[in-house]
Amino acid sequence: MQLRRALGLLPLALLLIAWQVAVELEVYPPVLLPPPVKVLMVFVDDWSTVMANAAASISRVVTGITLSFLVAVPLGLMIGRYKLLDTMTDWSIQIFRSIPPIALIPLAILFLGIGDKPAIALIFLAGLWPLLINTIFGVRNIERTLIKVARAARASEMLVMRDIVLPASLPSIFTGLRLAVGGGWLTVVTAEMIAVKSGLGYMILNAQLTFRSDLIFAGIIVIGAIGLMADQAIRVVRGYVCRWQEGLNSVPE
Amino acid sequence: MSHFLEFIDVGKIYPGKTEQVEALRGINFSCGAGDFICLLGRSGCGKSTLLQLVAGLEKSSSGQMIVAGRELDGPSPDAAIVFQDHGLFPWMTVQKNVEFNMKARGTPAAERRERAKQFIDMTSLTGFEERYPHELSGGMRQRVGIARALTTGPKALLMDEPFGALDAQTRAKLQDELLRIWEQQRTTVLFVTHSIDEAVLLADRILVFSPRPGRIAADIKVDLPRPRETESPAFADLARELRVLIDADRAVD
Repeated sequence: MQLRRALGLLPLALLLIAWQVAVELEVYPPVLLPPPVKVLMVFVDDWSTVMANAAASISRVVTGITLSFLVAVPLGLMIGRYKLLDTMTDWSIQIFRSIPPIALIPLAILFLGIGDKPAIALIFLAGLWPLLINTIFGVRNIERTLIKVARAARASEMLVMRDIVLPASLPSIFTGLRLAVGGGWLTVVTAEMIAVKSGLGYMILNAQLTFRSDLIFAGIIVIGAIGLMADQAIRVVRGYVCRWQEGLNSVPE
Repeated sequence: MSHFLEFIDVGKIYPGKTEQVEALRGINFSCGAGDFICLLGRSGCGKSTLLQLVAGLEKSSSGQMIVAGRELDGPSPDAAIVFQDHGLFPWMTVQKNVEFNMKARGTPAAERRERAKQFIDMTSLTGFEERYPHELSGGMRQRVGIARALTTGPKALLMDEPFGALDAQTRAKLQDELLRIWEQQRTTVLFVTHSIDEAVLLADRILVFSPRPGRIAADIKVDLPRPRETESPAFADLARELRVLIDADRAVD
């Protein structure tokens, strides 16, 4: 199993080899295409810069997605449970989720200025829709017998929400969370190139202006690595929280 | 004497898109407390619908239903229901599932634990308290469903083809256990089945349903002594008689 998992590194290794070969053949001058070793040195020489910017990006995403979680999950549970709310909100959700958060950067800067606020607002929006839609989906797919059991037992609406609707929707909420964090991460990098003066997006844009292509490459690697780690972390948490689900899903992810 | 359960000219019509479906028409019957009654018939003859009416999960379109001297208005605290697909909450352990109906009516936690233990013992689930439903066999899941239904001391136990999805051996075992529990608890049982043998084995009285619209075609008292011998001539005679009654409808199909 562990050995099989290592197969996931194969495409990355091939890419690394191709990169090294391209450097040897001088497909591009070294100032544009630095050798892998030089990029590796960035993590030694500029470690604090990279880490400070990564921390700035991560904290924005954590804040933004936490906000979208706090709004989307309760709202989604309500919309999924009450048909009238669903009818009321359906069109609006479909409209707003089609707008890429990036398209709102100009507005965000106009209203919120330059800094953390516009970035966090955009991440919030990037995470809101997938979380909301997946929460609603989760509630809608609750096995009908379970709701009948609760009704026959004369369970209060509060108990139904807390002990049935919420746990039944959790697997779907986690799917939404994975999409939200993914979307939020894409958004933060873009937003930082325009609306903020810190973070990985800002760092690589700035590196372009100072001809530090090694720093650009390093930044991109860090962005990808953090994306992978975030996704893995959510899967681990999901595996624990939804451990009751083991064996219910025959299709592996 | 006053009847525990009384149906007066009960009908149920489902409004459809193109035409209405008359699920039940002119249901009249009454029974005393502690009877074991089987509702027998092929699928689509309204026997499950009748059970949903008694459970308060559906509203009748006409007629009157009286349970324990009160006109039925929504789920009754005197009844508990067991479903064919067991209706266990997959995110709750056996213990939590068994406690759910008590939790729904606000029983204090300590009392819930104690009563749950009593019924977990009665249904031979001891040692499985901390398991999740997906870790149990079909027969054990159904025991959990039965234990959960019994915890609130219902005067009526409503069972909707509870053993329909089980293999023959497990089914026979659970039938025996149900009879043992019924003899201890002396609760009224309404048991929906399409198995003639099951009805003859379990019931004091069998209501034979015929379809379109669902109605009671025959009301048969079962006088065979308990425990019943499925190989006995009297058992076979009654089973044959019931088969004729049920097949009478097939000519119409």
